[in-house]
Amino acid sequence: MDSNKKYWKGLEELHQTPAFVSKSKGEFAEPVPVEDVLNEAGLSTKTPRRDFLKALGFGLGAVTLAACERTPVHKAVPYLIKPEEITPGIPNFYASSFKGQSVLVRTREGRPILLEANPAAVGLNCGTDASAQASVLDLYDMSKLKGPKFNGADISWDELDTHVVTALDAASAAGKQIRIISSTINSPSTLATVARFTDRYPTARLVEVDAVSYSGIIKANQRSFGKAVVPHYRFDNADVIVSVAADFLGTWLSGEEHTQQYVSNRDYKSLQNGRMSRHIQFEGGMSLTGTNADVRVAIKPSEEGPLLIALYNVITGGNLPGALSTNQKAQTALKLVAQELLQARGRAVVVAGSNDVAIQTLTNAINVALQSYGSTIDLDNPSYQYKGDDEAFAAFLAEANRGDVDVVFFLDSNPLYDYPNAGAVKEALAKIKFKLSFADREDETASESDAIAPNHNFLESWGDANPRGGYYTIVQPTINPVYNTRQAEQSLLLWAGEKTEYYTFVRNNWEQNILAGSSKSWKDVLQTGFEHKGDQPASTYNVDTASLAAVANTIATNSKALAKDIEVQLYQSVALKDGKQANNAYLQELPDPVSKVTWDNYAAINPKFAESLGLGENSLVTVEGENGYKVTLPVLMQPGQAMGTVSIAVGYGRTKAGKAGNNVGQNAYPFAKLVNGTLHFNTTAKLTKARGTYELAQTQTHHTIEGRNVIRETTFTQYKENPGHNAGRWTDKHKTYDLWDKYEQPGHKWVMAIDLNACTGCGSCIVACNIENNIPVVGRDEVRRRREMHWLRIDRYYAIEQDGKSYTKEDDIRDLDDMENVSVVHQPMMCQHCEHAPCETVCPVIATMHSSEGLNHMAYNRCFGTRYCANNCPYKVRRFNWFNYWNDSRFDNYLNNEFTQLVLNPDVVSRSRGVMEKCSMCIQRIQAGKLKAKMEKRQLRDGDIKLACSSACSANAIIFGDANDPNSEVSKALRNERVYYVLEEINVQPGIGYMTKVRNTYEA
Amino acid sequence: MSSHNESILREPLVTGKDITYAKVTDDILLPVENKPNKAWWIGFIMAALGALLWVVSVGYTFWTGIGAWGLNKTVGWAWDITDFVWWVGIGHAGTLISAVLLLFRQNWRNSINRSAEAMTIFAVICAATYVVAHMGRPWLAYWIFPLPNQFGSLWVNFNSPLVWDAFAISTYFTVSLVFWYCGLLPDIASVRDRAAGLKRRIYSILSFGWNGSVKTWQRFEIVSLILAGISTPLVLSVHTIVSMDFATSVIPGWHTTIFPPYFVAGAIFSGFAMVQTLLLVMRKVLNFENYITMFHIESMNKIIMVTGSIVGIAYLTELFIAWYSGSEYEMYAFANRIAGPYAWAYWAMMTCNVISPQLFWFKKIRTSIPISWVLSIVVNIGMWFERFVIIVTSLHRDYIPSSWAMFYPTWTDVGVFVGSIGVFFTLFLLFLRFLPGIAIAEVKLLLKSASLQQKTKLVKEGHLDPEQVAFFRDSLSKYDSVSEEDIKELETK
Repeated sequence: MDSNKKYWKGLEELHQTPAFVSKSKGEFAEPVPVEDVLNEAGLSTKTPRRDFLKALGFGLGAVTLAACERTPVHKAVPYLIKPEEITPGIPNFYASSFKGQSVLVRTREGRPILLEANPAAVGLNCGTDASAQASVLDLYDMSKLKGPKFNGADISWDELDTHVVTALDAASAAGKQIRIISSTINSPSTLATVARFTDRYPTARLVEVDAVSYSGIIKANQRSFGKAVVPHYRFDNADVIVSVAADFLGTWLSGEEHTQQYVSNRDYKSLQNGRMSRHIQFEGGMSLTGTNADVRVAIKPSEEGPLLIALYNVITGGNLPGALSTNQKAQTALKLVAQELLQARGRAVVVAGSNDVAIQTLTNAINVALQSYGSTIDLDNPSYQYKGDDEAFAAFLAEANRGDVDVVFFLDSNPLYDYPNAGAVKEALAKIKFKLSFADREDETASESDAIAPNHNFLESWGDANPRGGYYTIVQPTINPVYNTRQAEQSLLLWAGEKTEYYTFVRNNWEQNILAGSSKSWKDVLQTGFEHKGDQPASTYNVDTASLAAVANTIATNSKALAKDIEVQLYQSVALKDGKQANNAYLQELPDPVSKVTWDNYAAINPKFAESLGLGENSLVTVEGENGYKVTLPVLMQPGQAMGTVSIAVGYGRTKAGKAGNNVGQNAYPFAKLVNGTLHFNTTAKLTKARGTYELAQTQTHHTIEGRNVIRETTFTQYKENPGHNAGRWTDKHKTYDLWDKYEQPGHKWVMAIDLNACTGCGSCIVACNIENNIPVVGRDEVRRRREMHWLRIDRYYAIEQDGKSYTKEDDIRDLDDMENVSVVHQPMMCQHCEHAPCETVCPVIATMHSSEGLNHMAYNRCFGTRYCANNCPYKVRRFNWFNYWNDSRFDNYLNNEFTQLVLNPDVVSRSRGVMEKCSMCIQRIQAGKLKAKMEKRQLRDGDIKLACSSACSANAIIFGDANDPNSEVSKALRNERVYYVLEEINVQPGIGYMTKVRNTYEA
Repeated sequence: MSSHNESILREPLVTGKDITYAKVTDDILLPVENKPNKAWWIGFIMAALGALLWVVSVGYTFWTGIGAWGLNKTVGWAWDITDFVWWVGIGHAGTLISAVLLLFRQNWRNSINRSAEAMTIFAVICAATYVVAHMGRPWLAYWIFPLPNQFGSLWVNFNSPLVWDAFAISTYFTVSLVFWYCGLLPDIASVRDRAAGLKRRIYSILSFGWNGSVKTWQRFEIVSLILAGISTPLVLSVHTIVSMDFATSVIPGWHTTIFPPYFVAGAIFSGFAMVQTLLLVMRKVLNFENYITMFHIESMNKIIMVTGSIVGIAYLTELFIAWYSGSEYEMYAFANRIAGPYAWAYWAMMTCNVISPQLFWFKKIRTSIPISWVLSIVVNIGMWFERFVIIVTSLHRDYIPSSWAMFYPTWTDVGVFVGSIGVFFTLFLLFLRFLPGIAIAEVKLLLKSASLQQKTKLVKEGHLDPEQVAFFRDSLSKYDSVSEEDIKELETK
């Protein structure tokens, strides 16, 4: 029976209201705002409840489905046609050179990953400086240009060439000048290229100018000896070294080469022969060299000249006016020093860091009096590393201002950043019709240029260098150009109408000129990396003493001008130098060897002087130079800094260096001034306390050793009486008891010996270790939180000397009233690979354990990050991955992209977050060395395996090897009487022996 | 715990008039059987917000890495392990009260053991969260256990105190939980018997079929004793092992043989303080004054005073040994505690832990509820600082001065700690809502022997030495749950 009962759902249905009728036709009770959602309003449209639920359902479903997908598999595709010379997993080495130093470039599967010194090279043949080590990162820098640019827009090379040639032809036709502004070029092929270019455009001329100039030395040598060159210094021949504000071990001329020479008279081998040079440093700011001096006397920049006048007077018995009359300490030291120098006549050297022609002329006279020429100073095989002429650049600015210059090229030159008067440069550039920069990035100058023709990185280039007389090194590419760049020389050749490949050009140049008369072929050069034509005999020189009175007067005038106010000394930091590599995160995070500051420059002020100015830790100070340039900088309390002075590093404050380097610190170049034709890096300033505070990112914040025997030192006199003075092994005097079983180590036992007398603290080992072991850069904030990842650090301790006593306890130092007399020691510190490692027993999961070869291993994959090992490490060398540094946008200094990650060493895994890491003694290199010996069916030889740190050390301060081989270098070094082990008394049995620091001080 | 006539000299453990077995059940189950009051809701919402903060802080830490905390290359443990040890220490009172006092027949424990044990369990849960949370890769936390290799894990290092720790904590937690739950069975059965519907079914399952027969009671007694026997060594072992995390290291300030007893005393000290903090509020809010009496409060204060003195002596011994050792690192570590950059923490610890419990020598202070409550919190602040001092000031300046560093907490550090307190109180308040906060069955045992009612009856019977009665009467004056009239009633004889 059909029912005709009708149920209605509501009164609306029953009454059939018009609203109900119209609604019942639609599927949905409310209109669905599909249109709204799909149009540009997008997600900001009103979402009804039902839609919310739908969206939720869909979202959940979609996420579930998406999560079901397998993680994408990145396949490593093997070579289809394998290049003959590449075997995956086996590195290839190519000889090349970096800034004139012959190096070997280690490449893996076609990408350069590390530089090492060429052991066969002439001069610096072991170790490189930090900037050389870090330079591989520059190759993979994401901030570089990907191709040429014209008026800010991308352009093809052909179009750019047309523009350039048009501009050049127009300038040439109008008889206007063409200038190539470059930092020093000592490459014969580049110079030949420039010559070709000037042949084609006769109005073209090369102007060499260096950001940090040595033209004072060049001009002084021109004046004294008629030779406009920088001499080649031979610190290895010097028994007495007096440096007046020259940071010759760090940034002055050729720091690493000087280090190698200098240390040869001071390291353990030299000491065993009973020889040690004496080094006296007079300086205002605390330089790397000053920290290594046997005697360091703080003087103001204004006292440099008068001090040298006084020294000259004592040495020659002369009577020049303007000798030092202030600073009693310096005067006392001076008399002793002069006696020393006279006794060591012929084996002494005086160097001055000033760029003042007068000071350098006087220094020349002193060195002549000391018979240094031909022995410690070589003018006949001069250095060509710095040829820049400050006057020439000033002349160029004048020319440009007159409107004579129509075209200018900037090659490896960035005057809008590093010329003191950047405003003047900008004004001059405005009058030049066509400006082109060869910079690899849109730097300060390139971004103001009409065109940018990005140059290759040196690792992509052909080239050469002539760092000093008779010595030529080759630059060969180790990778195809990564971006659409072109070598500057190639560009110049093309614009000069030459179609030759630059490779052919270099080769022809070598074969026709450099290799002419040599038995070596081009191929030989590519293998050995250099050609040395032999040194000219170094001869002695004389100087005209009659003109020195005028020189002394100039010095006195300059000195008076400086002495009238707070004196500012500009210097280059060891890491960043002139600031060209400012975008290199490895260098930014390399702690300054003295202040241990990363990622900033600062105003270094003596603590007592700061106190008198009302400045304290974390203060900010505004420095106003005499030319009105003003910057606000954080204050660094620098013991040893001369009172009344402030030191500021140049090379910071880049605004267009790239992601990592932009706005790090403040630009100090504008403080410099042009005086008598050379740039002077000393000036005067007013200091005013600025509002606010600023915490510098220091890797070390406690600066004294607190009387602990972690550092052991002695004097050369005491050493001669007893070589083991203050050294000695704890176990020689104490009986120790062991809870642990003694394990045999029948194969190898890897150990290190570190010579505290050789280590200058420069830090190139730190960068080498970072690059070799893929150690992440963590950035300023993380360093402030004391979380830098460096496996190897260099501890620097101050001792304050007062009244013949040395104070190392913070509490005592607080009461001292003089903080100028400081002695410093540098101690490289890394995992000590203890035989009874405290870290090993406490790890709950055995992620760290001992090997049968005496190494303390770290199994990253097993570590789950309790950090107990790091807590229990007495040396505090373990480093924890607080974050996932490789893939976290907060740490995007450089590595969070696939391209820059090509710099990683494929032999070492990058560590995930939450995992402990530490020095492995380059286990990958040990394994590779053992494997190689095995393949060649021979015993491993001493020296087969070199660690990243030891091979980067030009002082040979880190000696690595097998303690089971009694004839290995390390075994011999460890048999040295000076050896001690840090914290040996807690019986952890460290594997790294240190040698006492010996100072060749005056006996009181 | 049989009902015999107790000496009149002993102070009553249950006060109040007309207390019957039924009234005990009614009183104690009041919060369980009724809707929660406003005070509970306020407390619960605050605690739950704290727990939410914990979820956010720990979640953030898991998401970004341990770098979210203020730790650095020198100080690898700070608030995380400070909080961990603090919670483990607090967790000690529960076992001590339930096991040791049971074995020693201290029947005053009957009215406080339930809450103390619950507190223990929640404190250990809080502590355990840090074990996982402080790991760099917490998803691998199970590696701490010696699982067979087939499981994908490898064997553990039995030399490492952290492995001992994992065993100590997990054993302690398991035993405490079982002990607590066994004790709960008769009470859950009581709730079951009075409930209806779904609630009855749930409590029925939870009561494990308790039927109240003599046999059941007998077994219950035996299990309690056995578990007490098992737990007693744990009271000593857990914190001994926790102390070995530090004592077996080489770090000056950690490498100390006095640590095991010193840590155990400190743990009992902080545990009783926490019980005091909780019970003083609980007895007021839930009207348990008749069951948790002034006698309980005073007894716990005495224990706090004794253990506080032990801790104080340990501090002084440490200082003496540091000087006597002649080791410069050891001496510096302690000089640095006293006068270094974290001296404020050291002196906060000294004041809170050594000086403040000495106030309990005064009976007025010992029997004052507000002062006891404040001091119980002061003690736990002090105990937190003790762990902070041991961990951070020892690490931040150890052997090599170049690595000396300061530790500054981040918001995440604070969030995890404050949040863990929220978690603790959330759990505790839920416990009070769903389970009887006092062991009903055990309190009932006291009615016929140790209650004021019973003693009044004895006095009235009049066979007692009047001097002893007078003594008893005097002792009642401190009770806030005994009125003047009640005391007078004792005089009428």
